[in-house]
Amino acid sequence: MLELFFQAAWKVLVAGLVLGAGIPALFALGVRFSAAGTGGAAMTVPSSKPNPALKALAAVCFVIAALAVVLGITVVVASGFGKMVSFDHVFPTLVDKG
Amino acid sequence: MNPETVLLVLVVVTALGFDFTNGFHDTANAMATSIATGALKPKVAVAVSAVLNLVGAFLSVEVALTVTNAVVKIQADSGAPKSALTDNHGEALLLIVLAGLVGGIVWNLLTWLLGLPSSSSHALFGGLIGSTIASLGFSGVNWTGDGTKLDGVVGKVILPAVMSPVLAALVAGVGTWLIYKIVAQVGERFKETGFRWGQITSASLVSLAHGTNDAQKTMGVITLSLIAYGSWTDTTSIPFWVKLCCALAIAAGTYLGGWRIIRTLGKGLVEISSPQGMAAESASAAVILASSHLGFALSTTHVATGSILGTGLGRPGATVRWSVAGRMLVAWCITLPAAGLVGALMWWIGDLVGGVAGGIVIAAILVAAAVFMFVRSRLAPVTAGNVNDEWEDAPAPSVPASV
Repeated sequence: MLELFFQAAWKVLVAGLVLGAGIPALFALGVRFSAAGTGGAAMTVPSSKPNPALKALAAVCFVIAALAVVLGITVVVASGFGKMVSFDHVFPTLVDKG
Repeated sequence: MNPETVLLVLVVVTALGFDFTNGFHDTANAMATSIATGALKPKVAVAVSAVLNLVGAFLSVEVALTVTNAVVKIQADSGAPKSALTDNHGEALLLIVLAGLVGGIVWNLLTWLLGLPSSSSHALFGGLIGSTIASLGFSGVNWTGDGTKLDGVVGKVILPAVMSPVLAALVAGVGTWLIYKIVAQVGERFKETGFRWGQITSASLVSLAHGTNDAQKTMGVITLSLIAYGSWTDTTSIPFWVKLCCALAIAAGTYLGGWRIIRTLGKGLVEISSPQGMAAESASAAVILASSHLGFALSTTHVATGSILGTGLGRPGATVRWSVAGRMLVAWCITLPAAGLVGALMWWIGDLVGGVAGGIVIAAILVAAAVFMFVRSRLAPVTAGNVNDEWEDAPAPSVPASV
């Protein structure tokens, strides 16, 4: 029982750190790039000029974070319909619950 | 029509009542952070959460009929009630379920009055365990399952309760720490607006997940009672009206907003800023979804509280009010036994009076207790208007110690 428990807890921790801490960190990077790209008062360091390249980078961060949210919704909805999201093929795919 | 119909109606109404308390008890899990940081106005936050809970409740088409199997043995694996309990239109089973529900509701109301975020699932399971012990003895409880998977009171309730706040705190702490490192040079205003949307989105995800998980439990309990009574026979589906009523009850409860608990989680435990709010809700969402994905049962409340605590630990210079955390911890530890005690007591009273009259008596006790606690809560009301007031180090809202 304890062994099963720690196996499950360990997996939850890894998934939690990757998605629950990694995605917010990515979002934070987006905020930072966006601020740096905006320039002026958006940063506390001596102001830089607006930079479209940084803004584009910020957009990439936000899009990946948004995809993670879509993945989250998919997990919720799928489990309600007796399906689960499988990561066996790296890309998430829907399969029947085993 | 027979006398037991009254008992069945009492069970259904009480179960919906529990679902309602489940809603307002858990609004804070998703929305306390967004309310505290001002990302959403209090009324808007509870409305969003209510709608998502409603949607979530309908999303789960899978049958949650065997929900009680996790802790007690009143159902067979197929979901059908144990035949020993179904004589006389399931009178025995209905009384166990009713007493258990009363135990859960009483504990939920008491912790709400004290502004403590305790787990509604623990309250429900505790109540059911108590009434089952009173009725069938200790062997009626599924303590550890058969050992081949995580099951029973130990595997599905106690171990996850110990571990999940720690996991959530760790994830949220790491997330907060990273975020603050990354945005250290970003201006304050830019930071607040930037994280606002991240915060709202992650909180919404928690609400949705909550709706799919928690409303199901009540649906399962009601359907079990219908089968025991004999008015429903299908163990592979749930009557539509049950699903509709449960979804509406949990959403209405959520919309009411458990302001006392929102205040404790949003203002009492740690002072929260937008980036912390996002870190907390993302950590909660990730831990809840990963766990349900892996079939690992846990309480939304424990996860949310752990996450908020974690953001306090992860942000350099933030203070965590350990006295508040300590009170919560005490509430968590006694939720299961306390709800169990009430459940057992209710079963004894119901059994003593006997039959349908017994059910009516314990329902009357529940109503009296609920009215009493509601009246007490009016002495120091917490509403959408004062939920974000400065936290003073007394347990606010102040409730006389005699409660």
